[in-house]
This record gives sequence, C-alpha cells and structure tokens, in this order.
Amino acid sequence: MLNKRIIFALLFKDGFFHLSRNFRLQKVGDVNWLINNFGFGKTCDFIDELVCILVKKNPTKKDKIDFLNQIKIIRKKFFVPLTIGGGITCASDAKYYFLNGADKILINSKSSDKKLLRNISNLWGEQSITIMVDYQKDQNIKKDLNVYINCGSKKFMKLNEFKNKILNNITCGEIILNSMDNDGNGMGLDLQISKQFKKDLKSPLLLMGGAGKPKHIAEGLKLKNISGVVTANLFNFLGSGLEKSRETSFNSGVSLAKFEKKIEL
Amino acid sequence: MKKKIAILDIGYGNIASVINAVDYLGFEQKVEKDPNNIKNYTHLIIPGVGSFLVNSEIIHKNKWVEEIKKAANKGVYIFGICVGMQLMFTDGDEGGKTSKGLNFFSGNCKIFNNKKKLKLPHIGFNEVEHSNSKIWSGIPNKSSFYFVHSYRIKSTENKFKCGYTIYGEKFISFIEDNNIFASQFHPEKSHKVGLKLLKNFLSLK
Repeated sequence: MLNKRIIFALLFKDGFFHLSRNFRLQKVGDVNWLINNFGFGKTCDFIDELVCILVKKNPTKKDKIDFLNQIKIIRKKFFVPLTIGGGITCASDAKYYFLNGADKILINSKSSDKKLLRNISNLWGEQSITIMVDYQKDQNIKKDLNVYINCGSKKFMKLNEFKNKILNNITCGEIILNSMDNDGNGMGLDLQISKQFKKDLKSPLLLMGGAGKPKHIAEGLKLKNISGVVTANLFNFLGSGLEKSRETSFNSGVSLAKFEKKIEL
Repeated sequence: MKKKIAILDIGYGNIASVINAVDYLGFEQKVEKDPNNIKNYTHLIIPGVGSFLVNSEIIHKNKWVEEIKKAANKGVYIFGICVGMQLMFTDGDEGGKTSKGLNFFSGNCKIFNNKKKLKLPHIGFNEVEHSNSKIWSGIPNKSSFYFVHSYRIKSTENKFKCGYTIYGEKFISFIEDNNIFASQFHPEKSHKVGLKLLKNFLSLK
C-alpha cells in the first residue's frame, strides 16, 4: 500500500532561507548554515520529500539563479524527491527548474492558468505539477476563507469558489492547502479544512501551516483524505524533530515508509 | 574493458538528479545528447521526467531508438527510470494517443485502473517485492522506493524477471532481462536503497 508523506519545505529569498510566521519572513541562513548549524543532513534522512520555494514576488532571473545555486548544494548531498517552485509563469520557467533537479514544480499564483498547466502537463506529465493554495480567513466574515496569490499579498477569490472553478478543473498532480493563519504559529494544522475537500478532488491533498510538534504532523497524517503534511518550521523540525515526528506518526498507526539505514554503499 | 557510463539527455528527463547520484557513488559519467555516440559506452541510464508521448516522439524522430537497440544487442547495460522504463515497453497511452516505445519488453503503459477511485498520481514511497536477482544484492525485499506516476505497466511475458508494487492493483515496478533493467520508481530519489540499486547496476561488468 502507498504510504503517507512527511515533507519539509525550505523558503528562500534574497540569498537566505527564511522562517515564516503568517507570511512575514525572518532571515535564517544559507544552505551551508542549515547543514552546519541545524543538522539539515539528518533531517533529510527522515523526510519523504523536500520542497524548495522562492518566496519573492516577481523574482528576476538572478533571484532564480541564486536560489538554484543553493539547491544545487542540497542536490549533491541528499537524495530525496525535490519539488521546486516560485515565479513560474510559463513552460520555460518550469523547464528551467526541471533541468536544475526538480522532480516536480510548484505553482501558486498561476494555478488558475489552465493553458499553462496543460502545457506543462503535456511535456512533463500531470504528476509533475504541485498546486499550492494559500488561504486565509476573511477579515470580516470569519467563516469565509479566501485564496491569496503573489506570496500571500493579493486576494484572489473565495476558497469555495476556487475549489469549484479551479481545482476541480485543472491538470495537476497534487494540491497543498497552506493555512496563512496557522503559518509558523506552531499551534497545529488546520485539520478542519480537510472536511471541505472530502469528496471532490481526484488529486492527492496535503496540509501545510501550523505544525509545531510531532503530534501535529501525526494528527494531519491520520486524516483519511490527507496524503501528506508539509512543514517549513525550521526551528521546530530541523535536527531530530522530523525523526520524532516519524516515530510519533508510526505509533499513531500512520502508514509511513521505513527507510533502510543499514545499507552499505 | 574500461567502464564508460552515459546519462542520456533525450530532452525532458530530470538528468541533474541522476548525475548527482552517479557522482556521489564515485563513478565517472558523461551526459550524452547525441544518439550516434551511444555505442561508445558500457552503461547507459535513461532518466525520466516527462510524458510518454513527448519522449516517444523524440526518440522516434532522432536516431535514439535505432542506437539504443544496437547498444542493447551489443550487451551494453541499460537502466531506464520512470518514463525511461515505460519507454522500454511496446507502447503507452499518456498524452492522449497511443505511441510506440522501444519494445524491449512486451506490454502496454496505461493509466491505473481507477475503479477503486484511487488518488492519482501514485506519489510517495511504496514497497517493491523484488526477484532477489544480482542487481538487488544487499537490498532487503519489500524496501520502499519513491514513485511519482499515473501510468503503469500491469503485465508482460513470464520470461522477464519483475519486481512488483501494489497501488490498488499489482503492477510492474521493476523489470530486467539480461543487460536491460528498468524501474518505475526513482532510485536516485530513494535514499540509501535507491543509491545501492544504482551502484549495483553501475558495478555490473
């Protein structure tokens, strides 16, 4: 049977990886700093996938080169599936990321662009496209949720409308639902959101935003219609945090891959 | 004969990850874009990201099919990954029409049977029940490897050694026949077990 996934996300902007709290960024360090000070290498032994996102509005070519140079260091040392995103507006942007080691590309602001998604799908297959949906509670009507694009800076449409009009009609491999309200708060994932997606979607669904402890990851993975949990919480989950999350999830009855450690290379 | 390893750059594969894995394992490799040069190598890797249709059109337009087949007949070791594996079969449906593969193995690459309403693509680590052949040396049976695909090959002739995985149905996740090997999963993305499988392949002589 297929296992559920624990995915780690790295957010990059202007030369550094960042922590994010409600989409406000705090500089942490470059990739060498992550490896040397945060045990990033050990973290990779306990994740199913790594997502790297360039979290800058309208990034330039130089921004992308700087970003990919950091990823290059990761790619040479760690052999985990890699999704790369940020600033993809055309198929050639996607190609650039694929040529630089992406197994999948992540699309946020252009997720309603059916033509773009079809083009990418025709060339690399629909499994290669991850859609990231950043959503937040409406300021006035609290039960309403809105989808944001452009690194959370631009309100796009109501989540319900986005689900019916966009997500049900696009070509993609999987969907990450990222709660901007819970982003970086460490108080737990928005588990309720999964109820809104119980029946409709054919693509795997992942939750992101709010995991601060191993039990939060296990809670998300235990949901029947959730295929994986994504966390970008550097301080809580680097080092042994994800090893503990895996153990906690196993003990909660979640089916996760067991990575063989005693292989002689 | 000196070992010479090529990673084929047909145009759409994620070759960067395979290059890194081969480098990490301590083997020299060359990225080969010209099908005419294939004959110069002892080991070929055909990586895979991309749709069956696009890759099929590329290999049939250029001399890839002819040269890969010549190399296979000469005994060159060949390893196909993901779409690289699918291309080794008779044909595939991805991309809206049926297109031809290399036909090293008989079988059709079709979308998963979705009567059970499985989430597609099949993404993540899943177990491979393997044949314990030489290339699997040192790798426990039912180890987990990384998959990301919506199309699969369900069956082929009994004469080939296969590894199997279950996702709603049993499908072929690994196949070998003498010097030809292929995996639906990505060994270059599958932690140590994946690297070990690649190392076993690259060590063949």
